[in-house]
Amino acid sequence: MAKIFLDGKPVEVAEGTTVFKAAQQAGIAIPHFCYHPAFVPEGSCRLCLVEIEGSPKLELSCSTVVREGMKVSTQSPTVREARRGVLEFILAEHPLDCPICDKAGECKLQDYYQDYGLTESVFREFKEKREKKVRIGDKLILDRERCVLCTRCVRFLAEITKTHELGLFERGIHAEIGGYENEPVRNGYSGNLVDLCPVGAITDTDFRFKTRPWFLTKGESICPLCSRGCNIYIDYHPGFPRVPGSAKVYRIRPRTNDAVNGPWICDHGRYGFIDLQQKNRCQTLVWNKGERTAEWSWDKVLITIGERVKALRENGKTNRISLILTTWLTNEELFLIKKIFKDGLGVRNVFFADPAPGPEDGFLLRSERTPNRRGAREMGFDLKAPDLNALVPDTDILFIFGPHFAGISHDGAWKPALEKIPVKILVTSHLNELASTADFVLPAAFLAEKNGTLTNADGRVQKIAAIARACFDIRPESQILLDLAREIRLDDSYFGALSAPEAVHHELVKEIPFFGALP
Amino acid sequence: MSREFTADLKKRIEEITARYPSRQAALLPVLHLVQGETGFLSAEEERAVASILGLPPIKVREVVTFYTMFTRKPLGRFHLQVCSNLSCSLAAGERILRHLQAKLGIGVGETTPDGKYTLTEVECLGACEQAPCMMVNFDYHGNLDPEKVERIMEELK
Ligand code: SF4
Ligand code: SF4
Ligand code: FES
Ligand code: FES
Repeated sequence: MAKIFLDGKPVEVAEGTTVFKAAQQAGIAIPHFCYHPAFVPEGSCRLCLVEIEGSPKLELSCSTVVREGMKVSTQSPTVREARRGVLEFILAEHPLDCPICDKAGECKLQDYYQDYGLTESVFREFKEKREKKVRIGDKLILDRERCVLCTRCVRFLAEITKTHELGLFERGIHAEIGGYENEPVRNGYSGNLVDLCPVGAITDTDFRFKTRPWFLTKGESICPLCSRGCNIYIDYHPGFPRVPGSAKVYRIRPRTNDAVNGPWICDHGRYGFIDLQQKNRCQTLVWNKGERTAEWSWDKVLITIGERVKALRENGKTNRISLILTTWLTNEELFLIKKIFKDGLGVRNVFFADPAPGPEDGFLLRSERTPNRRGAREMGFDLKAPDLNALVPDTDILFIFGPHFAGISHDGAWKPALEKIPVKILVTSHLNELASTADFVLPAAFLAEKNGTLTNADGRVQKIAAIARACFDIRPESQILLDLAREIRLDDSYFGALSAPEAVHHELVKEIPFFGALP
Repeated sequence: MSREFTADLKKRIEEITARYPSRQAALLPVLHLVQGETGFLSAEEERAVASILGLPPIKVREVVTFYTMFTRKPLGRFHLQVCSNLSCSLAAGERILRHLQAKLGIGVGETTPDGKYTLTEVECLGACEQAPCMMVNFDYHGNLDPEKVERIMEELK
């Protein structure tokens, strides 16, 4: 340990810590562009200057290592003056198009100008004109006028993805970021460049000009597109009162968790999430009666389904109920299914239909393209794929959760098979061909729209919360399941107590302590 | 496309890399060598050097564009490099550049049609005490004004 003095305050930090990190640990923020915790310090932006007693000039806090007894001043007039000067140089060449810049509102240059700049420009010459719309990737646009040349983008591609698509060419006033012979950024993590860029120089075509950051609310969640379970922020517009459907998710950003995803997420998750949240959503409750299709109310549908289940129960034939589940379901929902169907009704025919696995990329993206297979396994489910031959003859009522059953065979063999089953109930957040074959279609919540936990492949149990509702008449599966339990009068005292939020999770942890490890 | 260097050039590159703790560290001398052989460094040469030294081509491009001694286009017989950095600009270096542009009838980065002169604008030449200054091939010329430039140009003929 080394003892240093930060603005007069004694602080103990580990040997080898940089002054910047020591300050951060002590809660002192030092402005910076080029420093990023995931990369080797570069020391090019000169904004992190601090005064160190005994040193003839200001030093870069990002790359200066602490020495025993060091006296550092992060806010002295000299330091503030130096930062003001650095900012003035950057702004002399900055287009100041904040009114149309996506980054405005969360831009480091704006923040630091507010804290340290506040200068009148003395620059009377014309500013350099540079390209403002260079397509550097599938979804990436580079604005060379806004770039502050911190090279975070270059270093991300050199140190993290090791794909080296961008470089810093030329020098002095001609310096610019670019691709080799204009080859685009092409790797599964390109979206991180947008989050990484401290200013609005790299923007995302999906987000460009769509909204302003200050209109957005951020919710904490977990990416459901693979079993890594990356921690994310969902940035959404909460919508306007009295304008139905005006809430909308605008973007997904990584939420740093060093034990899971570090500060990154992959493009498959980032862009796939918004597609899933917004496209092909199941929004209406439907009862397909032969040729006719009727929209029905939740109460009536639950009573009808409850009657069918009760009829089987009276004849002691609840083993003729079968389930096709998905690991889009949370731990709590899977637990309720286990309690109601397996333990309560003695259902034995349980299958899982999940999104098809994909290639692993050796970094974050895993081959299981669904968030909770580990959770289902820990719950004691056998994750076998649906076997139509075993299913059809033994089934009077089939509950299908999720839309993925339609993907189990490409020849559509499931269709005629399903038709032989008397009652098919589909509980799904997304629509596909399955919906026309089911007798009841119950619109369910997508992962970002319900509370619960998911277990990633490494066994981390992580929370998701009901954040943005894309559509209206949907219900979380947990509610549907509890309503059903009540409808068929299954152990009222037990299930009745589970409607309080968190109650299912408590019950789950009591029964299977594995799930208690909430980080 | 990557080009094949001659066996002799490859051998000389290997001689250079052998002197450095890592192959990548030999980038500058290897680029000098290759440019000396081929006259300029096109994408083909950059890629070939990159693969020989085990570097991504973009690293080679960064270095080639950073240093004014390297060129990505064929140069004229006389390479006029006028400094446009701070000291020279304060001493009206821009006037020198404009004078040469008008005299040669070419823009910055261009070569006269007869292949004789190439005019480029460079960052600090490290000779601020003689500002404004320029380099012609490997020679420094300082304390310039249009008349002195005229005299230098006379001598180049
Ligand atoms: S584009 Fe952004 S991240 Fe890249 S160097 Fe410029 S400012 Fe930095
Ligand atoms: S690695 Fe997996 S969990 Fe992480 S963002 Fe990508 S798809 Fe989502
Ligand atoms: S953060 Fe230290 S120089 Fe940029
Ligand atoms: S500024 Fe021209 S030589 Fe230094």
